[in-house]
Amino acid sequence: MTAAPTLPADQQRLAEDIYRLMVAQGAMFAMDTPIRQTLASLAAFLARREGRDRAELEAAIDLALSADSRFTREVVDGEVRFVTTRQGAYVPREDADTHSFKQRLHDPEHPLPIDDISVVVSTSRPAITTVEPVYISDYWQVQLAAAPVEPEPEAVTAPEAPAPVAEPVLEEVPLTPEAAPAPVEEVAPEPAPVVPEIPAPAPVVEAPAPVVAPAPRPAQPPRSTVFTLSDGTAIDLRRPVDEIMAEYGDLLAQVLAERLERDPLQRIVSFGRKYYPEANLASFGKNDLRKIRDYILERNEPLLDTEIIADLYYHNPRQADYEGFRFSLNYRLHREKDFEFVGVEGAYLWATRGLTITSGKRVKAAEMGQITSYLVEGYDDSSELQSVEAVRQSGSVTRLLTFFEWEYGVLPLDAGLAALLPPPLLPDQRTAVLRFESPQHYTTYLVEVRFPAGNRGGWLQGLEEFFREHVAPGALITITRTGEPNVFHIVYEEGPEQTERLLTFDEKKNRFAFANVSFYCVVDEEQLPTQSRYGRLNRLKAFPMGERRKAELMLEHVSETIGDQVGTPAAPRYAVTLDDLYVAFNVLRPGSRAYLKALLERGEDFSADESTPGLYYYAPAPRASAGEVEEEEDEALEERPPLRQRYGRYDEDE
Amino acid sequence: MDAKVIVFGETAIDRLVQWLRATGQPQDIMDLVRQYLEILSKAVREENE
Repeated sequence: MTAAPTLPADQQRLAEDIYRLMVAQGAMFAMDTPIRQTLASLAAFLARREGRDRAELEAAIDLALSADSRFTREVVDGEVRFVTTRQGAYVPREDADTHSFKQRLHDPEHPLPIDDISVVVSTSRPAITTVEPVYISDYWQVQLAAAPVEPEPEAVTAPEAPAPVAEPVLEEVPLTPEAAPAPVEEVAPEPAPVVPEIPAPAPVVEAPAPVVAPAPRPAQPPRSTVFTLSDGTAIDLRRPVDEIMAEYGDLLAQVLAERLERDPLQRIVSFGRKYYPEANLASFGKNDLRKIRDYILERNEPLLDTEIIADLYYHNPRQADYEGFRFSLNYRLHREKDFEFVGVEGAYLWATRGLTITSGKRVKAAEMGQITSYLVEGYDDSSELQSVEAVRQSGSVTRLLTFFEWEYGVLPLDAGLAALLPPPLLPDQRTAVLRFESPQHYTTYLVEVRFPAGNRGGWLQGLEEFFREHVAPGALITITRTGEPNVFHIVYEEGPEQTERLLTFDEKKNRFAFANVSFYCVVDEEQLPTQSRYGRLNRLKAFPMGERRKAELMLEHVSETIGDQVGTPAAPRYAVTLDDLYVAFNVLRPGSRAYLKALLERGEDFSADESTPGLYYYAPAPRASAGEVEEEEDEALEERPPLRQRYGRYDEDE
Repeated sequence: MDAKVIVFGETAIDRLVQWLRATGQPQDIMDLVRQYLEILSKAVREENE
């Protein structure tokens, strides 16, 4: 505490009195916290207490306190104030933190010389990424910034010797080593003697100037604005973004998607084409997933994500977080093995384990994939009737129904259908479920699209009921897009009632037979398997589906069954046209004309009739005796698996 | 920033995450690419200026 100054007694007393008053006022303050009072307040208080004239007292106080070193006089807005502290004169605090612990920790007091600054400060990406930022003190950042200049220290020290040379050298001093080659090494041995002479003559005094001059470094060349992708594609960032997007948009999207997928922190996650920050995802617990699964099973059909949200979470699309919530749901369900995405772009449908999507599964998925493999092997001739472009533009595809398609409710996913139907949304998506509506009968069917994978073809299934009830083999059906991405119309050309003896498959007896069938649609007579035209079709053997995958075997069997025997009993030879082969082959399994032609050309026992286009001969190789054949057939029948029940479980087939 | 050091999909991805969080909505991949290009262009321009 500072002592009271020597003043006239009354002033000293007055100042002491006021100091005690102000210290009492700030009794709870810190020792160095300022205690302020206005001159007017002090005068008013003392005038009232001592009964003196206020103006006179104000002048006395001002005089006394101004002379007292414990008080600081300040004028704010014309008002006189006095400041003091409990410890005496007020000294403003200095908060300048010139020697903090952080600074002492990071800035070395006596830094050692460093050859390679990258040892201390690394700008390269660490092997294991860390979320926490690494603090680098200003000291090292300055060192880092200065680092590129350091490799040429000789060029700076060299010119100090010859003072007169300094001025002309000023422009050439560039730090490149070529600039000072030979002279540097000659002068270098005697730098020490020159430095002590500097204080003496004037010219020597000028010497340091050129040495300092190199400090302004040569202007850096403009930095590159072109970055290169891993495949070598160079992109200039000076170009407008729209231009870059138009030229490289798809490529950049692919690269970015791959990078984000590989990001170890998974900061941005994706579902389909949509991307969202992982940190913003809404969480779904086990109870949520169980609830969703139960609801899908209860509804007994794949459900849209929007339905699940509306029915189970009561989220409104007008809510600000709706899209984020929707993304979170889809993202979470996609990661769960109990759920399968069966939607398309614009309609995110979810199925779950145990849900039977389509009614019957008479054909196993694995078998069907192999049976339709001819489509991915290049024997898809569907675009000959209707080009892919025409399908895309018209939004509809028309095709004739074969017996196999009619019997099993299956349509091979050829180029025409693939152009019409939406592609898979996810890279690992196997299935999509579409809704086929029949405007002629006001009925709806869930159709499962199995996408091609690897060397297996794709197909549609689930139309068995529609085909069997409303059309016949050879009918012309048209599938058309609607406004909904997952809804399609299926129509056929209606006709007068016809009753024909058509080929049917008796599943109980596991054989083909002809039966009277009435239908009300227009059919292509060439494709209609009537008894009058294709009377031998009922002799076809109902091979198990596993056998029907063997196209060569089926072709031989079909040729032998429906072909005309033009050889001898010892050396049989069957004549058959391509059109008949096509109809009969498609009784047992799907196959395009192009595929049949390829099989006929490949088959050693087949030969084309040179004179009659479309006519082929099948001359099977000599077989074992009749007794042996019967034995083989009996064995084959014994090995044949029991008939599968119609409408089998989905899980069994999978 | 020198464009030579850009690794597409890694460099300045934090800023893309910030933008995505700020939008509050899932974004299409093409919108994401467009925004990322904007971020990179800006970073390169700022450095050169």
